[in-house]
Amino acid sequence: MKKKRFAMVLDTRKCIDCKACTIACKTENHIPLIEDNYRNWVMEEPLRGKYPRLGQSFTPGQCMQCSNPPCERVCPTSATYVNGDGVVLVDDKKCIGCKYCITACPYDARFYNEEIGAVDKCTFCIQRIYKGRLPACVETCPTKVRVFGDLNDPDSDVSRLLRKYPHRVKKPEIGTQPSLFYLM
Amino acid sequence: MLLSACAAAGVGTGLVGKRFQSLALAKHTIPISDLGNRDVFTSCGMCVNKCGVIARVRNGVIEKLDPNPHFLKSRGMLCARGNAGIDAVYSPDRLKHPMIRTGKRGEGKFRRATWDEALDLVVKNLSNLADKYTRAGTVFVSTEGFQEHFFTTFAECYGSPNTLRHPSLCLASNIQGFGATYGTNPTPDVLNADYIIMSGANRSEALVTPDSIDMLTGDGGRRKLVYLDPRFTKTAAKADEWFPIRPGTDMAFILAMINVVVKENLYNHKVVEKQTVGFDKLVPHIETYTPEWAATKCEIPAADIRRIAREFAMAAPKAVYYQGRRSSFFDNDTQMRRAMAILNAVVGNWDTKGGMVPNSRIPLQGHEYVAPYYEDVPDRLENGTASYLSEKDGSWKYFRDRVLEGKPYPVKGMMVYKQNPLVSVANRGKTLKMMEQMEFICTIDITMNDTAYYSDVILPEATYLEREDPIESLGGILPMVVWREPVIKPMYESRSNLWIIQQLAKRMGDEIYASFNFTMKEYREHQTKNNPEILKVLKEKGVYYEKETPTYGTTLGKKLRTRSGKIEIYSEKYAKKGLDPLPVYNDPTNGSTGQYRLILGRNAYMTHGTTANNAYLSELMPENHIWLHSSEAKKKGFRDGQMVKVKSPIATEMLRLQVTEKIRPDCVYLSHGFGVLSRGQSRIFGKGGSDAALIEDKVEPISGNMAMHQTFVDITSI
Amino acid sequence: MTAITKNFRNIIGFSLLGAGMLIGLIAVGYVLMVGHSHAYNLTREIPWGILISTYVFFAVSCSGLCLVSSLGHVFGVQEFEVIGKRAILVAILTLLTGFGVIAMELNHPFRMAIWVILSPNLSSAIWWMGTLYGLYLVLLCIELYAFMTEKHRLASMVGLIGFMVAISACSNLGAVFGLLDARPFWHGAYLPIFFILSAFVSGSALLALIIYFNHSLRGMEMPPQYKNLMITLGRLQALFLGILIFFVVWRTIPGLYAKHTGIYEATTATVSGNLSTNFWFFKVLIGLAIPFFLLVNRSTRTPFGVMSAGLLTTVGIFFMRYDMVIAGQIVPMRPLHQNAATDILHYIPSAAEMGIVIGSVCACLFFYVLIERRFDLNPIEHK
Repeated sequence: MKKKRFAMVLDTRKCIDCKACTIACKTENHIPLIEDNYRNWVMEEPLRGKYPRLGQSFTPGQCMQCSNPPCERVCPTSATYVNGDGVVLVDDKKCIGCKYCITACPYDARFYNEEIGAVDKCTFCIQRIYKGRLPACVETCPTKVRVFGDLNDPDSDVSRLLRKYPHRVKKPEIGTQPSLFYLM
Repeated sequence: MLLSACAAAGVGTGLVGKRFQSLALAKHTIPISDLGNRDVFTSCGMCVNKCGVIARVRNGVIEKLDPNPHFLKSRGMLCARGNAGIDAVYSPDRLKHPMIRTGKRGEGKFRRATWDEALDLVVKNLSNLADKYTRAGTVFVSTEGFQEHFFTTFAECYGSPNTLRHPSLCLASNIQGFGATYGTNPTPDVLNADYIIMSGANRSEALVTPDSIDMLTGDGGRRKLVYLDPRFTKTAAKADEWFPIRPGTDMAFILAMINVVVKENLYNHKVVEKQTVGFDKLVPHIETYTPEWAATKCEIPAADIRRIAREFAMAAPKAVYYQGRRSSFFDNDTQMRRAMAILNAVVGNWDTKGGMVPNSRIPLQGHEYVAPYYEDVPDRLENGTASYLSEKDGSWKYFRDRVLEGKPYPVKGMMVYKQNPLVSVANRGKTLKMMEQMEFICTIDITMNDTAYYSDVILPEATYLEREDPIESLGGILPMVVWREPVIKPMYESRSNLWIIQQLAKRMGDEIYASFNFTMKEYREHQTKNNPEILKVLKEKGVYYEKETPTYGTTLGKKLRTRSGKIEIYSEKYAKKGLDPLPVYNDPTNGSTGQYRLILGRNAYMTHGTTANNAYLSELMPENHIWLHSSEAKKKGFRDGQMVKVKSPIATEMLRLQVTEKIRPDCVYLSHGFGVLSRGQSRIFGKGGSDAALIEDKVEPISGNMAMHQTFVDITSI
Repeated sequence: MTAITKNFRNIIGFSLLGAGMLIGLIAVGYVLMVGHSHAYNLTREIPWGILISTYVFFAVSCSGLCLVSSLGHVFGVQEFEVIGKRAILVAILTLLTGFGVIAMELNHPFRMAIWVILSPNLSSAIWWMGTLYGLYLVLLCIELYAFMTEKHRLASMVGLIGFMVAISACSNLGAVFGLLDARPFWHGAYLPIFFILSAFVSGSALLALIIYFNHSLRGMEMPPQYKNLMITLGRLQALFLGILIFFVVWRTIPGLYAKHTGIYEATTATVSGNLSTNFWFFKVLIGLAIPFFLLVNRSTRTPFGVMSAGLLTTVGIFFMRYDMVIAGQIVPMRPLHQNAATDILHYIPSAAEMGIVIGSVCACLFFYVLIERRFDLNPIEHK
């Protein structure tokens, strides 16, 4: 069976910074309610212009599920690995808490989760996507900012969107090849 | 190495210790209901939208709340508050047992009581109050909810005419202004509109489904969103155009728009001729309300007003001036809404796709009950105050004033369901005085909010995720029927409101109890007697629709619920009452120099004053800040993040300053729901400041709606 | 020095060290009770704090001691042969202390022992760091054994291998930071090279301290061979410091020149921001400038002067490690506040972290002094 390449396409024009995705993620993935413990976020970009001519955008983000992940390279015990379908995961029992992957991540996507005793980050809701469901953030988003799917399937929504619209990734110059694409 | 060895040994024990610590914090030690593993269709109760929810229960614990994809109104989504609903159930701060006050009111000293003791006490007091002050001597305060009906019906059976609900804090002016024009308050068809003007309806933060979603669909180009607000809100960030309109001058803008539409002959002649009355009187009336005149009032350039009016008319009938929900801004709100309604009418968008569509509702069989007859019960306390007072909803401003006066008769009893007046009604000082003079206060709620904290008896209701609720028919342009099924059994000793009312009714006598003597199952079957299909579909899909797209034109060719049967541009009924039959503009009041107008608003992750203490949501916003424009902060030498004293004519609150460019320099803003008095809200007690304390209770006299943007404050360093 | 004053000084000395170790133990206990997130001021944006920089300080000091003393028994520079034993001993002590500090930094130090063997990741600089320093520790022990049992040929052989491993381990430690392209302030070839150089500086400084204090604290007159060694060390150190100053200058200028995002903010924080006291006072003045002038001037290049320079340099280097580790993390990976285009994060070590650092330094000193008293670390004359 052909491997999948999971990816997410985001249309930030629709994002209203309602934080639904952050709460859905916290409840779905049992993230402790402590400062620093979050898998995803919505950033308020700096204000553009001067009063009264103002503009502002909102940018959701999370682990970029890179194709060339720096976190995987640096983990001394191979606790961080990429599964066959492109999802970057952490094997809890092998994590020693050296936090090398946290310093190596260009996106501040990771954090140490004391409750599970390992580094934690977005897993594309791996417990849901193999059961035919969408990641919690995708499903819950009021304005449907997020589209999730398989890039290896040319007819998937993500593939079609990426063909149709110009898009960008975060920090392309580093060469991590993220799987989160932002429509321009 | 000694240090290494110690480290080694200790880490081992530390690891074990941490495991136990985390398990203890997990929800798994809280009493587990025995509803095992299931997915349950229910309706969210975190705000008024009632989005469809599928609750996931594993091992008797609610794990996650997912959106119900069948629920069209929410477009299959669940917002931050919906997801955070889990904490409403498992919060350690929630009310667990009936409580009876032991200390002084407001001290927060309560003792646990049995249901029997608490209910007996309530009924004893209600009877005493009835004897001393007549049945009108007790006010029944509530807000909307699937079980509110039982509470208000109980009030009726008890015999009190004094039910006080939230519309006079919210949308009474809208209902009045649009009702006087169209006979009903219609819903704008946002999904299909090409041009939307929103003033003061911050839809990207004050979420109303599906408008908050639909206003953003429409692949760029054809759809345009114009947004007027003194603040650069998230809606402003999404809108195509934003104007920091001067607060209180929306009517000037609208009248100027009408002026352009009429004078430049852009109005819909056919609709005006066939569907409206009074256009001939409108023409001379708006003569002086030119864009040039309006520009001096609302601080929006005349050229823009003219242009927007033209664009609006061109896009009509798929153009709406969006009236929003809350209309508790100014003392001219009803007339301003009238102007909105008139503008919508003259461009011909009534009851058509992309326009203003009257609501419809799927009929259910009503609750059949008989309220006993009581002699010598006076009328509503505040009768004769507002021009059009709702019998059921009343007017908080006038009611409270009369209670404090003690005239025309005293009100000494207060029963509260699901409402938190100490946070939601302007001028908290007055609410405190009103409550202080009550002889008995009983609150039915799920958290120890401020009103519960000041009550004599507190009865814990089961949360929305634990309740079996009546079937509810939600009206709108796409009517539907929803319900609630218990996701888990009610925790602790909490009970559904129906049970509480039944117990109270039982103690009040067979006559009253007869009206409530049924199980919820029986009630639902009764409701769907004429349409049993509803129950079947609800079980399968969690929501029942008869159509999946709105129906347009149902009122065309028929008589509207107005005196003339048509859209009343000129309101005869207002004229007869001595009110302006056509909206007349008046300038809003100004504060003194150096003062700022205090304005209110919403966040997408808070619901009014009810969710600030939610574990997930309070993480997003641990306290409220007062927004001040950066130029003003610079002038006064304030720094971002410093504490300041905010002083209004009636109160002073301490708040942290947020210096921003996102607000008019003459205004300040703070979020609702903080500065609470109750120590039972452990996450937020002592944090932030109370807007309810600061805001004066000005009122819009036609509907009795509170006018909450007319308070001016001084800001000083501490 | 009378016996009484000597005893008195002993008691004071050991009490201070003991107190320091006690602080360390209390800190360790506290951390194990409440967990890392409560005891440390580390965040997801700044996960590496003073514990990492202290570990780097110890590890590079260890490498440096070996490298400098190799001049003696590996490369045959006569003067340096006398300090071989002592140098190796202190190298072992500092490395073990470093490991102890790291054990408190890791959340699961035991898992490490298992999984670096069972599922190693050869592309991970930290894996190599663990492997190389582990190997290095073994080699040091063998070397010490060789010295203690007078097996000079074994010592030379192991010393040579150890030298190579020390170079690899130390430059690899620099690469732990240098391979991260997410962190522009660290990324590149500079740090691995810089670490080797600063190892030499650390090693020389520590050696000077060891020699001087070993004799003066015991109230012994310093024999002439040690005196000459000190002077030579002083000259060598002057050279190393000169090169180090050159490196630091050419690190700072590019950082400020092009205002490259990520590097510029970190450099300005170091030079004029909240790390500037560390930089100017501790690193530049105390760590580099004053020692350099002390050593360059023949009149001040006395054993005491060399010792003073060594002490100042060691302190300065401790702060230099701290600055390097922190400056690389204070520029967030994404702006955290809407109002600032780029903001700078803040970090101050918590009491527990400081406690562990104090404890580790005191423990290292304590055990060194103890071992010095019990064993004879002076070389026996060659036959």
